[in-house]
Amino acid sequence: MGDTPEGALESGKGRSVRIDVPALARVEGEGALHLHIRDKEIERLELQIYEPPRLFEKALEGRSFEDVPEMVARICGICPVAYQISAVNALENAFGIEADPWVQTLRRVLYCGEWIQSHCLHIHLLAAPDFFGCDSVIAMSREHPEVVRRGLRLQGLGNDLMRLLGGRSVHPVNVRVGGFHHAPPVNEIARMRERLTAALPESEALVRWTSQIGMPEDRQDFISVALRNDREYPIHQGQIASNDGLAIDPEQFEHHFTEYQLAHSTALFSRYKDGAYLVGPLARLNLNHDRLPAPLAQMLQNSGIRLPSANMFHSMFARAIEVHYAIGEAARLLEHYAVPRAPAVVVTPRAAVGYGCSEAPRGLLWHRYCIDSQGRIVQARIVPPTSQNQARIEEDLRLSLQAFGLEHGDDELRLHCEKVIRNYDPCISCASHFLRLSTDRRS
Amino acid sequence: MTVVRILGVGSPSGDDQAGWLVVRELERTDLTVRLPCRASLLSLDRPGAQLIEYLEGADLVVLIDAMRSGAPPGTISRLDAAQCTPRDRPVSGHEFGVVSALELARALGGLPACVLLYGIEIASVKPASQPSEAVLAAATHLAQIIARELAQRFGMSARPDAAV
Repeated sequence: MGDTPEGALESGKGRSVRIDVPALARVEGEGALHLHIRDKEIERLELQIYEPPRLFEKALEGRSFEDVPEMVARICGICPVAYQISAVNALENAFGIEADPWVQTLRRVLYCGEWIQSHCLHIHLLAAPDFFGCDSVIAMSREHPEVVRRGLRLQGLGNDLMRLLGGRSVHPVNVRVGGFHHAPPVNEIARMRERLTAALPESEALVRWTSQIGMPEDRQDFISVALRNDREYPIHQGQIASNDGLAIDPEQFEHHFTEYQLAHSTALFSRYKDGAYLVGPLARLNLNHDRLPAPLAQMLQNSGIRLPSANMFHSMFARAIEVHYAIGEAARLLEHYAVPRAPAVVVTPRAAVGYGCSEAPRGLLWHRYCIDSQGRIVQARIVPPTSQNQARIEEDLRLSLQAFGLEHGDDELRLHCEKVIRNYDPCISCASHFLRLSTDRRS
Repeated sequence: MTVVRILGVGSPSGDDQAGWLVVRELERTDLTVRLPCRASLLSLDRPGAQLIEYLEGADLVVLIDAMRSGAPPGTISRLDAAQCTPRDRPVSGHEFGVVSALELARALGGLPACVLLYGIEIASVKPASQPSEAVLAAATHLAQIIARELAQRFGMSARPDAAV
C-alpha cells in the first residue's frame, strides 16, 4: 500500500490486470506482490521476498554455544525470545540437559510477554486498520482512540514483562543455555503480577472486540501445524503436530518437512507431504483449543467462531485469544514465584546434534545445531514461521482472490491481497536468512 | 506544576546510543533538581509506538534521537515536531520511529503542548560497538544546549559552565 501499483491494462478480448505492489506496507520487512490476471485467470501470483539474506546460520558457525542465545535474538526485534528459546531447547537437547521447572516456568512467562507485545502490535498497528477503512493506525486512532490506546497499553505490558525477565525488551540478554543469567527479584515479579491481573478485563475486551469485527467468509482447506503437548497450550515446548495426525518430536522435523528455493524469494519455502501448510496463531488454536482454560473456552463458545476454523481471517481473533491467554497464564505462573538458589544449571558441552522448537508469535520455529566437543557451532539450521507460511500465503491468495472475485477494481484487489497477507503477520526480516550461498568462480 | 520529560531514544549499537549519551550527560548535572518544574530524564530502547506512553501527561518533552541526513557525524539538528511529518506511513513494527510515534500521539490527542526534537547525526550502528568520538562530543555539547534552553525557558540564570 505504500507505493502506487502499476495500473490495469484493458485488452480487447478480456480484462487484463497487472497489479504490482513493489513494497508491501504493514508487514515486517521488505516484500512485494505480483499479480497478473488475464481473461479472468490468475496468470502469475508471487509473494516476492527480496529482503537481502542475512546469513545468520553461517554467522553462527565457529561461535561458542554460549553466544547463540544473544546472536539469534538479533534475527528479529519483534520475536527475539522465540529465537532464544528454540535455540536453548536445541542446545540443551544436544547436551542432554533437562532445564528445571523454575527455568521452564520463567521461559514460558518470558515467552508470554513476547506473544502479548507482538500480537498487540500486529492487531493494532498492522492488521486492524484494514477493517476500519483506514490506511494506518494513525488514521484509525482518530476514529477509535480508545481501541488503539488499549492495544498500546497491552503491548506495553508485554514489553515490560519481557524487560523484567529478559533484561530488556528488544533483543533480551538474560536467556542462557541451562537457564537464566539472573533471577528477577520477588517484589518486582509481584508488582508485574498485579499489573497482569489488572489487565485481564482489557484483554477480555480485546477478544470481544476482535470477534465483532466483520470478516470475509473465506473457507479454505489447509493443514494446520503447531506444537502440542499433554499439559498446556503450547508455547515454549511440545511435539510437532498437525490436523492430519502428525505427532513427532523435533528431531524428526526434517523427515516430514522439506525446504526448497524459488527464484522470486530470498526466503526458502517449506512443504509438508508435498504441499503448503499453515503455522501461527490460527494453526495453534485449531489444534489446541481444548488446552485453553475453561473461561477462555467459554469466551470462544460465546464468540460464535467455531474451531477448527478454515477461515484465515480469524487469525486476528486467534491472536486476541492468545493475548488474553498469555496474560492470564503469566499471572498464574508467577503466583508462587521465588528466587532459586541458582537460575541455571551447569552446562558441559559435548559433540552432538541438537534439535529444538517453540511457538514464535508467527508460528513454529525450528532449530538444529551441530556442535563440536568444545561447544562450538559446526552447523546451524533455522526454519522460521514466515518461510514455512510462504507457500500457504501464495495458495491462499489464489483461492481467496477467486472467492473475492477477480472482477473487482485494482485497488480493491490490491487491498484484499494485502489483507490476506497480513493475516499471516509475515516477518520477512526473519524469513530471509536462509538463502544457500553458492559461489561460481571461473577464471 | 509543569511536567518536563527529557527522553533519549536509542539502542546499544554504536552511535545509535546518541540519545542515551545526552541523557547520561544530563544525569550528571543538577538540572532536573534546579528546574522549577517536575522534570525527569529517561533513556528509551527503541520504544516504537510505545513512545506515546512517555509523552502522556507531559507539558514539555525534549526528545533526542540519532539521525541520518547526510551531514557529518556529530552534527546537531533541532527540529520542530510540528514541522515533522513521517517520511512515509509507518510500514511495520520494526520501523515505527519517533516521528510516527509523535503523529500517533497527535491523533490520540496526547501530544504535549511543546515537543523539542533534537537529532545527532550518526555514522556506525554496529551492534555492541562503542559510539564514535564525534557522537560522544556532540552528546556533551547537546546536553549543554538543552540545559541552557530549559533554564532560559524557566527564567533561570543560564549556567552553561555548571550545566554539565
